[in-house]
Amino acid sequence: MIRLALTRVAWMVPILLGVSVVAFLLMRALPGDFVQASAGTTELAPEALDTIRRSLGLDRPVWEQYLDWLARVLAGDFGTSFVTQRPVLDELLPRLLVTAELTFFAGLMALLLGAGSGLAAARLRGRVDWLVRTVNGILLAVPNFVFATLVVLLAGLYFPEVGIFNYTPFFTDPLGNIGSMLLPALSLALAVSVTISENTRAAVLEVSSQDFVMVARAKGLLPRTVLRNYLVRNALTPVITVTGLQLASLLGGSILIETIFTIPGMGQHLFESVTTRNYPVIQAIVLVAATIVLLVNVLVDIAYARVDARVRYD
Amino acid sequence: MSHPGPTNEELELWLPTVALGVQRRSLLQLALMGAGLAASPSLLAQSGVPKRGGTLTIGADADPIGLDPVTLTAFSSYDFTAQLYTGLLRWNAEMKIEPDLATGYLAPNDTTYIFRLRQGVKFHNGQPFTAEDVKHTFDRIMDPASASPSAVLFASVKAVTVVEPFTVKFELKAPSATFLSYMATNPNGVIVPRGVVDLRTKPVGTGPFVFESYEPGQQFVLKANPNYYEDKQPYLDTLVFKFFKDQASLVSALRSKAIDMTWFKDPKVSAQIVKGSRELVSAPGKTSRTFPVWFNIKAKPLSDVRVRRALSLATDRKACLQTVLGSGAGKVGAMVPESQIGGYDGVSPLPYYKTDVAAAKKLLTEAGYAGGLDLGDYIVVAANALDVQCAQILQQQWAAAGIKVNLKPMETAPLIGLWLKGDYTIMSIALSWSPDPDAIVSRLLSTHSQGKGIGMADAQLDKMIEDARAILDVPKRAAAYQQIQKHVADQAYLLQIYQYPLRWEAWWSYVKGYVPLAANIRTFVRAAYISK
Repeated sequence: MIRLALTRVAWMVPILLGVSVVAFLLMRALPGDFVQASAGTTELAPEALDTIRRSLGLDRPVWEQYLDWLARVLAGDFGTSFVTQRPVLDELLPRLLVTAELTFFAGLMALLLGAGSGLAAARLRGRVDWLVRTVNGILLAVPNFVFATLVVLLAGLYFPEVGIFNYTPFFTDPLGNIGSMLLPALSLALAVSVTISENTRAAVLEVSSQDFVMVARAKGLLPRTVLRNYLVRNALTPVITVTGLQLASLLGGSILIETIFTIPGMGQHLFESVTTRNYPVIQAIVLVAATIVLLVNVLVDIAYARVDARVRYD
Repeated sequence: MSHPGPTNEELELWLPTVALGVQRRSLLQLALMGAGLAASPSLLAQSGVPKRGGTLTIGADADPIGLDPVTLTAFSSYDFTAQLYTGLLRWNAEMKIEPDLATGYLAPNDTTYIFRLRQGVKFHNGQPFTAEDVKHTFDRIMDPASASPSAVLFASVKAVTVVEPFTVKFELKAPSATFLSYMATNPNGVIVPRGVVDLRTKPVGTGPFVFESYEPGQQFVLKANPNYYEDKQPYLDTLVFKFFKDQASLVSALRSKAIDMTWFKDPKVSAQIVKGSRELVSAPGKTSRTFPVWFNIKAKPLSDVRVRRALSLATDRKACLQTVLGSGAGKVGAMVPESQIGGYDGVSPLPYYKTDVAAAKKLLTEAGYAGGLDLGDYIVVAANALDVQCAQILQQQWAAAGIKVNLKPMETAPLIGLWLKGDYTIMSIALSWSPDPDAIVSRLLSTHSQGKGIGMADAQLDKMIEDARAILDVPKRAAAYQQIQKHVADQAYLLQIYQYPLRWEAWWSYVKGYVPLAANIRTFVRAAYISK
């Protein structure tokens, strides 16, 4: 088990290195740089543009910029933001916590909604199943930003007294903070909950048709015991995988959700940094997000080993 | 609200101390300069006794990128520098130039301006403001190492000399009609203190508000400047900018009073939201920019004036205006927007402005394109919904005359790169506000990097533009720009579709004393107060 964990973690190093190259090159391959994006139609002499580029180190060859950046990242220095001239890491860490909180709430909601509705659909069938699948179909078709925009517009129109933009930092007012996170987390959770719900339903249905479940029922075990010990435990493996993999969707979704609800998280930061071509910030966020997704995948692998004996002996 | 200029006696008093030439222009004449657009009297009549105190929260759609007025290039920073810094001159509500840190100026000849400065003004850090700071500011602008965008605007300045602690002399290389306009424009003409480093993140100015704190993407907080030189202003204690990058969020925030004031890019959104509540005030838009269709005339088929004229004839500008902006929100456009010297009034006849599809087809046949013509990609700013809408309408209008284009919405940063290099066939990008028509038409000079990029080579137009720059007499200058616009329309070097405001401002009626400027720079927050 420890070996499994260590191998998986060791694999992260080359993957992250690859991600760093891609993040670095992709942003620079995009036409238009920070200097151009921020100046807009403001007229600047070509020499002035060159001076600004030189001051940001953008005039050097890309590989040289990359190696320099990588060396400093390994030493824990992610550089300074082009826009605010502050250290990237100082700006990113508080935002990372905000996104972590949002993702946690969204993930929790998605899991409860998804696993609950999936299980109900599979066990009760009939009308409940029809209802769950119809709702799932609709939610799958509506992107999270459309839902979020609707929430924002309708709240502004019909409940102007509910301050949906009053993001409160956790340490100022913990309850207010959680309250301000609910709607954004729900907007983020809905689409993800569909995937979990459909997978749970399929897994439970598949497991219920297995012989050992019939045997367990035939033995006269209580339905509750059959559900807990035979059905859910066995149906859990695919659900865990899916939930883990959905973290990437949650992180990706947070980009638009945070922008719409004006939550000062990592996603909002990324959105702004891409439009302004704020390279140091984009690179740092891509690296941090990749690390998180990889770490969660490792955790999913380990969790697998806990519930599924076959993985343990591989 | 407006500051009384110095009286003649005052001017005479200090006249002996400076060398006086034959010709001099007083503030009275100065008041006649600038653009001739009258502000709506109803807005100016928002009078009453100003109340002191309180917080005004403004919804902003973009973060500032740097707060050093000498080096900043982003339009999104202007809103903040407008509160933090002031210059020797400024624009008043009617878009006329009035004195600000200066109390008056003399022009002994066409190339010399001598400014007398206000005394007793302090920067936010307590440092006194003197003529040395003016010199320091312009030294920084002219220093190539600063890479200042203002350097292009003040290229006509030869020397800045401190005459006395509160008298400063500007000498120009040649007579320049644009000089005073740029001096009055924030951030180009504002004054920065000597010996203060890192204004980018720690701004220090002479403006009505002092920098307090900034959380990127969240809010920008300013406090009233207790030493501000204008009597009793500012009335507010605190000014907060909250950032909303999403238009729907901005609408919702204004409705729920999370913000007191904001602006919109779409007049239909603004009209809709104001209809929703009687307590919301929407500013009548002042046209400050145009929506152009730029051509690259280096290569066939657009090198042929008949093809360009055919495009102009195939265009129904009024239809675009009505569909995209709605009724009453803009006017038909030419090179210069109405709020500037010589601006187009939207109705006077211009060559090839009358829609005539048959004539367009005839010109195309003459040019050898009887069977129609495919111009390829028409590049537009994807982020500007209004631009994309207008481009779609134009696409259909041109198709009726047999000219095909393929709409290509593009992200702003790469699009600007192509635009500056002239690397396109047809493209639409609207300019942000500029204080002087020269900044707009100069892009068509054969010597300008952009003019070169699109293949401009019209010696007559070059001369017209260069001459207009040096005409100090306002009516004559206006006539010169009207001639330029007629010439550009006749040659159809580019199409101008409509003219419109950069932003549509809206605020709750308990915000009093505020006046929106055509420049969309919120300098009048200094006169705003809250009265609930």
